[in-house]
Amino acid sequence: MPWKQGYTISDEIGLRDGEIAWPEGKRICATIVVDLSVALSPEGITAADLKTPAASFAYHDGLDGLLASLKRLRLRATFAVPAVIAAIRPERIRAIAAEGHEIAAHGFRHEDVSGLDRAEEKARMDRATAILEEVAGQRPVGWYSLPRQTDRFAGGTISPHTMDLLIEAGYAYFGNGLADDIPHWWVTDFAARRAILALPYYYHFDDSFFCMFPRKGTGLEHPDSLFRNWRAEFEAQYRRGRHFHMVVHPQHVGWCHRLEMFERFVSRMQSFPGVWNPTAAECAAYWSKAYSKETHLKLAPSIWQDHEGSLS
Amino acid sequence: MPFDAERDLAELRAAAAESDAHHELIPRITWPEGVRLAVNFTADFDAMLLRRLMNETPMQLAKGEFGGRVGIWRLIELFDHHNVTATIFTPGRICELYPEAVRAAARSGHEVADHMWEHRVPKEPELERDHLTRATEALTRTAGRRPVGSRSWHTLGLMAELGYLYNSHGSAAHGPFWEHDGKGNRLLNLPFHYAIDDAMFYSFAWLGSENSAQRITDTDRVMDLWWDAFERQYREGGYLNICLHPFVSGRALRIAALDRLIARMKERPGVWFPSCEGVARHVIATHPSTRMGVH
Repeated sequence: MPWKQGYTISDEIGLRDGEIAWPEGKRICATIVVDLSVALSPEGITAADLKTPAASFAYHDGLDGLLASLKRLRLRATFAVPAVIAAIRPERIRAIAAEGHEIAAHGFRHEDVSGLDRAEEKARMDRATAILEEVAGQRPVGWYSLPRQTDRFAGGTISPHTMDLLIEAGYAYFGNGLADDIPHWWVTDFAARRAILALPYYYHFDDSFFCMFPRKGTGLEHPDSLFRNWRAEFEAQYRRGRHFHMVVHPQHVGWCHRLEMFERFVSRMQSFPGVWNPTAAECAAYWSKAYSKETHLKLAPSIWQDHEGSLS
Repeated sequence: MPFDAERDLAELRAAAAESDAHHELIPRITWPEGVRLAVNFTADFDAMLLRRLMNETPMQLAKGEFGGRVGIWRLIELFDHHNVTATIFTPGRICELYPEAVRAAARSGHEVADHMWEHRVPKEPELERDHLTRATEALTRTAGRRPVGSRSWHTLGLMAELGYLYNSHGSAAHGPFWEHDGKGNRLLNLPFHYAIDDAMFYSFAWLGSENSAQRITDTDRVMDLWWDAFERQYREGGYLNICLHPFVSGRALRIAALDRLIARMKERPGVWFPSCEGVARHVIATHPSTRMGVH
């Protein structure tokens, strides 16, 4: 039986607060991820999805408003961009990159890859990477697989091959890992210590689940809960000196009162001394060096056994 | 089947009588001198085991893994800081996944109790016995002490036979009560309620719930609800069992909220924070079952 495979993806004990340091003595690392997907199904972005009023808002009015907020508040973000959106709206993507934001990959069309065979998943990943490289002028270093509102679970979907393919393709990080609230190593091969850095994600800080969830029109509207989650998590992580992240979508957070709430939160966040607001790529680059898998990944030898009459 | 009022009534009367025979309530619990309310903080340390058992996605497993890598350590630290003796209901297989955390909980004086071998109770009696035996041995080996409590669906008679003193399950009463299986076995129950369970408020797709049934919310709201529960039980002089999960409540924002909640509870005189075992031993000694039985 290989190492706790099928149960855990990383080492047994995460880094304690006191072990974490950020560049230039900063107190906390705070990253903002903007998801440019409007996918409503596991298929990923469909023609029908792009014809909805929400999609029009997501790529024009909503995005304009969000970009203006980020600029005015001097914040940098990482945009998780499905390759099809970069291909359809290259000018928009280039303008985002020109503002100093990171362009990261979000699938070919933000599709659910969990049922794909390795070859097809690889073909989709390669094509997505090539499109984003061509549009943005540089190869993406981060890959996201964020959840869709209609997904069964709120963590994003991957296949058994995804992490390995990302390592093969040279990606520096995977954007949405749930096993820690700081960057952590997602191990694909215990013996070889083969691993990719995963940046933390938790749906309680993602506007998808608080803005007309699960469905526009009949869903529940709780942006105030989202605001309280951001505030509580940021303050708790600030005290601990760890990491804070939030995931927003122009079609959700860009709307009127929600944008007001977003601005209120990030303004408050910036009033704290020592907040480091890098792109996800910069955070990953720092972490990979300061907490490399060679020095910091402590995989305990497995004491896992197979037992008759139990799950393997 | 044609309408038969007498048959229906007989069937329902028998069911109600069986329920009454099963539950022996303790009308008025008295606590040790100076104690007005007993609060049990309990943590179900299943990490990703239940997610795995339910055959959920890799990201769901990773979400559970947070509980073992991070959450359990923070809960231990929180309880230690407040001098709260907690009970960590631990599936036996967690001893193979997170032995250091289980040992740390025991070292801090918290109770390590059973939460089934792999978070399920097999239907086959022999396999059930095998599972509970394995879990008991694994916990004994790792925590250094034989567990006396469980949070499970295990058969009452089997638990009693293996030396368990209590089960913490269901919500048939506000406070500890005796459960009888009708075969002469009895066991104390320290009930908890899903409304005082972090997963119900914070965990997406909990127990297979649909997207439209999600109720994920923020800590302010939950702490207000739980504070009301505390106030009510404090006034009544009763019992409160707060059910947490390391992968849920171990998140920084919730540890901070629990820290404030416990600090607020401690401002009141006469609040006792023992382990479940502490409550069980007190109740067994002072409020024994008044019904005949083998134990």
